[in-house]
Amino acid sequence: MKKTNKGIIAACVAAAVLAVAGCGQTTSNTPASETAAQAPTGAVIPNTVFSADDLVGKTIGTQLGTTGYIFAGDVENATVEAYNKAADAIQALKQGKIDAVIIDSEPAKVFVEKNNDLTILSDPFAEEEYSIAYKIGNDELGKKIDDALTSLKSDGTLDSIVSHWIGDEADHVPYTPDSSVARNGKLVMATNAEFPPYESMEGGEIVGIDVDMMRAVCDRIGMELEIENMAFDSIIAAINSGKADVGVAGMSVTPERQKNVSFTQGYAVSKQVIVVRK
Amino acid sequence: MDGFLQKLYDTFIVDNRWQYLTNGLKTTLIITLFAVMIGMLLGFLVAVIRATHDKTGRLKILNFISKIYLTVIRGTPVMVQLLIIYYVIFASVRIDKTLVGILAFGINSGAYVAEIVRSGIMSIDNGQFEAGASLGLNYTKTMLYIIIPQAFKNVLPALANECIVLLKETSVAGYIALEDLTKGGDIIRSVTYEAFLPLIAVALIYLIIVVGLSSLVGRLERRLKKSDRG
Repeated sequence: MKKTNKGIIAACVAAAVLAVAGCGQTTSNTPASETAAQAPTGAVIPNTVFSADDLVGKTIGTQLGTTGYIFAGDVENATVEAYNKAADAIQALKQGKIDAVIIDSEPAKVFVEKNNDLTILSDPFAEEEYSIAYKIGNDELGKKIDDALTSLKSDGTLDSIVSHWIGDEADHVPYTPDSSVARNGKLVMATNAEFPPYESMEGGEIVGIDVDMMRAVCDRIGMELEIENMAFDSIIAAINSGKADVGVAGMSVTPERQKNVSFTQGYAVSKQVIVVRK
Repeated sequence: MDGFLQKLYDTFIVDNRWQYLTNGLKTTLIITLFAVMIGMLLGFLVAVIRATHDKTGRLKILNFISKIYLTVIRGTPVMVQLLIIYYVIFASVRIDKTLVGILAFGINSGAYVAEIVRSGIMSIDNGQFEAGASLGLNYTKTMLYIIIPQAFKNVLPALANECIVLLKETSVAGYIALEDLTKGGDIIRSVTYEAFLPLIAVALIYLIIVVGLSSLVGRLERRLKKSDRG
């Protein structure tokens, strides 16, 4: 009697374990052959998006809080998925979980360069300008930074910074701050270091165009730069709650954002592009 | 005051933004409900295996597997497990994210439920097993009809607590772009750049559900108490 019952328990348990394991199996099994065959490239479902018009009804990945998210929301019948990081959206795209990613052109180039199974579609959305955000009413600081930007543009410093990060001769050499500048107080810059070449982590440091530009700005206005890395959609809240003085994160000026923060003059032109699998 | 009303309007009314919260709440509840079911099923199974092994020395292999399961699941953060299930186990598969969430949180919860239930089973006096045996019940029947009902009553508060923890833990589901309640608030925050209202609203909704759950469990506990002697 005891034996049979032990058998029953064991059978029940085994069945349950198998059922649970099977749950995972069945769903992952269907494309198992494909997974194995395509494991190196990663792409499973063939690309179906060849132009902006093809986005209708598709699943579009974006980074939460970006202009790409707003654009994707305007696409008819599309399912918009908002990832916390652009890199997560790219990962999902590579694995065939989504059909396309709408993202700023320069980071798109970096992602496509690093993932040879991805490509950028040739029809981009409208152009936009990146600006430095600061708290509404903090015009003294805004004016100082704006003047610094004007001088960085006119003496070629900004162009030389950009040339270190974008283009064929990009050597990723960071800007060297001027050690002779007397610094008075800290300028806290909020950013989201997942947006190459504007800001990303390299060797444990946050580097990129925005960082270098702000170091140059701080040289001009005599302040010390402190960088706070946070989620992109927290940057404006950080500025308004006084946790950061400026937001510099490849942030385009949009009417919604202008309701909540002030912007300096633009420092770079960008556009949203569509990234798809090859 | 006008400013506050404007913010209220911007946060919830414009573009039907409140729907981010209601849809998110729906997702959160679905994930929690099914994850609790998977967790309870897995947890009870593993607990019975472990308790049987502890008491009788049988089921060696199953006990070994259960131990690995407990160690791995309790030794890694649920968010990492979620990301592994989404990006590693289901790599290259277009899978419903809600299902990923249910699996991740269910499997995670199972490990905690298992230890809670096992402690409940072990807390039942050995005399109860002997009583069962003297009534002619075998081990399985004793377990099912005598031990588990008593153990369940003992661990009910801890199980309810696990459900509450699970509900709150699902808030990391947003990491795989799953639009749960927390993510719903985040989306509103990302378009209005206003942190206060969406976050407080999300917090309040969680709080209300948890308080509701707690009172339900309180009722269940009182009902189960009726069978107590005394």
